[in-house]
Amino acid sequence: MEATVRKEKPMGSWLGRGLLGLCAALTLAATAAVARADVLSDGTAAILVVPKIVVNSELHIDTLIRISNRSDDPVRLWCFYTNATPVCTNGTGNCLPGHRFADLEPCTPSTACQQQWQEVDFHVVLTQHQPVAWLASVGAIDCRRLPNQTGIDPDLDNNPPCFPLDGIFRLGEGGQSNLGSNVPPVAQDPFIGELKCVTVNEDDEPQARNDVYGNVTILGGSKVDTDVSGYNIIGIQALENNDGDKTLVLGRAGDEGVEYNGCPNILILDHFFDFAEDPITGVPVITDLTLVPCSEDFLHQQTFPTTTQFLVFNEFEQRFSTSRRVECFRDIQLSNIDTNTPTRSIFSAQVAGTLTGQTRIRGVVGSDPAYGNTLIGIAEEFRPAGTASVNLHAQGVRPQKDYIYLPPF
Amino acid sequence: MGRMCGHRFRFEFLALALLGALVTTPARAEVTTEKSSSILIYPKLLFNNYLDTVIQLSNTSNSIIYAHCFYVDARLTNPELPPGPLNPRIWQEVDFDLTLTKQQPTHWVISEGRSTDPFDPTCDNTNQSCNDAGFDPGRIPPVSPGFEGELKCIEVDQSGAPISGNHMKGEATLITRAPLIIGAPLVAGDASKYNAIGIIGLDSNDSNTVLCLGGGVTPQCPAGAEYEGCPNVVLLSNYAEFTSSPLLQEFFDPPTPSVVNTELTIVPCAQDFETQTPSRVRVQFAIYNEFEEPFSTSTTVTCWGNFTLAQVNSVLTVGSLGTRFVQTQLRPAGTDPGFIAIQEEFHRQYDTDPIELFPASRVAFNTHVIGERPLTDLIIIPEGP
Repeated sequence: MEATVRKEKPMGSWLGRGLLGLCAALTLAATAAVARADVLSDGTAAILVVPKIVVNSELHIDTLIRISNRSDDPVRLWCFYTNATPVCTNGTGNCLPGHRFADLEPCTPSTACQQQWQEVDFHVVLTQHQPVAWLASVGAIDCRRLPNQTGIDPDLDNNPPCFPLDGIFRLGEGGQSNLGSNVPPVAQDPFIGELKCVTVNEDDEPQARNDVYGNVTILGGSKVDTDVSGYNIIGIQALENNDGDKTLVLGRAGDEGVEYNGCPNILILDHFFDFAEDPITGVPVITDLTLVPCSEDFLHQQTFPTTTQFLVFNEFEQRFSTSRRVECFRDIQLSNIDTNTPTRSIFSAQVAGTLTGQTRIRGVVGSDPAYGNTLIGIAEEFRPAGTASVNLHAQGVRPQKDYIYLPPF
Repeated sequence: MGRMCGHRFRFEFLALALLGALVTTPARAEVTTEKSSSILIYPKLLFNNYLDTVIQLSNTSNSIIYAHCFYVDARLTNPELPPGPLNPRIWQEVDFDLTLTKQQPTHWVISEGRSTDPFDPTCDNTNQSCNDAGFDPGRIPPVSPGFEGELKCIEVDQSGAPISGNHMKGEATLITRAPLIIGAPLVAGDASKYNAIGIIGLDSNDSNTVLCLGGGVTPQCPAGAEYEGCPNVVLLSNYAEFTSSPLLQEFFDPPTPSVVNTELTIVPCAQDFETQTPSRVRVQFAIYNEFEEPFSTSTTVTCWGNFTLAQVNSVLTVGSLGTRFVQTQLRPAGTDPGFIAIQEEFHRQYDTDPIELFPASRVAFNTHVIGERPLTDLIIIPEGP
């Protein structure tokens, strides 16, 4: 009997130690899984956000979107263009925001500019390791459906980008194809807006697969003085506990119901102050900032107005701050954030006094504690002869959640 | 007893195996282009007759921070000749220190450096030229003409010992001064910009001069990894070389021919600044076209590499790949050091009759990354005073 007790004791203790070890391992595993999820522009993800798409054929401006699947399995994306092009209700004047369109005849009075928020959705299927691309102005269809095609013409010269694996005459390895892919052109020309793509299965149920990534190129300029800029598409990584419903919950990994990692608490932008002379070319530099809310309601067409705080530091460590509201999309010249007289802005070199600054951007949590009111964005730096885009830096995740509501088809 | 031992063995082995799996499973690499870090790498800096580079670096914390920075001049021994065993890169480092007050941004032009002059004019209503205004972060040396290479900044404490503060972020802007005349004309005044690549510091930093990136416990890294490791795979979303730009041809009737080239800059993660021993990495390329057809090639980079994809191998040209867009996956071969990279695209149009190349516009992209290498990469910095 004693012997039995003695035998059981150490066994219990070994069991305990083993189980403890297992628990520790599993806890660490969970922690590690938590640490891996992220909102990022330098890794693969399940949700892709393209904060800025611009089309204006009159000014030779268009946007090329490139997306790749890095996995061995096909990926189906459910994508949503958001048309945020403001319309001049008082004639044909320009309402497009930002420095790129600053020289156009403005719509008067400025209150006649009416903001739009209209989504259009479509699907793209990428086969294993496949890169695809499309021009926002044209969209993309099966290559065989392009005019003057002879058969299996690939995506090459004199074609706009198209989907080469039609699923009938041309299949990829293992029978995969782009069947079901059809990207419409953006809703109007000129156009400014956003694109979001969510990884889904055949039934349009969101999937926890972090397999897609990509980048965006915006073309402007003339035949001789071409101007190309670009940035990485922002990815939101999925966690393992995705319930596959049409409400995507973004938040802190490990919090109840969270399916995707939360958007950043703070965005950080290093920038030249507007109108400061570039130290190499001597020309003035202007920066446009594009912000979109992380939450989006494609079901009710509801926006998530977010008061956005800007904390600005110059190279003397002197601090300024201002705020601005972001409804569903905001593309704005930095020196227009706080004033209509850019030279008096805290974002202008005249006021800030130094060439460069650091701005911390924070969406303020609103009255509804259910929503995180976080933001995603990019910046574009304009010089007279060239534009350069850059992804923003991010800091922290907040306890509130953000939601993306998909239509229930 | 034997059974008990079996139980003990099984449970503890299981636990250890799980822990081991945890340690060895490649996590998402924390080489980052969007988070504050303890090591910042600017892989591509150029200063020549046509190009110069502006560095931006910020302190994202509310405390003063210090950084120890290294310029690595990687120009060829004979810049007139292509790189090769008889024409290696000089790999000459120059280092300097920076101090940034809370949340302070700073910048400098690599051709000019930055002096410490509290009387630098600030911008105001009559003067928008305020290049050196602000608290000078320290005396930053200029690079010499013909410089091509990288900048690495390591966060340190006041004594100069490396720390894992994760307080730095940065950007580099490559700006064209004047158009190139021969071969590859660039748009004058054009700019391309990328985020500095950050390596996040861990709590296990022992603050010595051997910085351990990723991996486990080794004789040189008794505390294991002190910084996150370099990526397992670097992903490019790129054009096939010499293909046309759909962006450029759509606006002109008849369509004007255009061409896109991609330049890739690769920096090995392992670096020995103490003995000036350059690292060598063999880079494996796995390439997929739009038909998901796989191709592969490889190249070797010693200390720093900057080349067009076509220079790696003709398989990366549109003639071989057959489609315009490509996914390229880069990996270090075997136990070679990890590496980081950025890509820069050159878009240009040309006339065929007579042949005339128009200036190219440039766009830089940070690359995407997957996983963390299981092996350690070492950055060895010279001993301080």
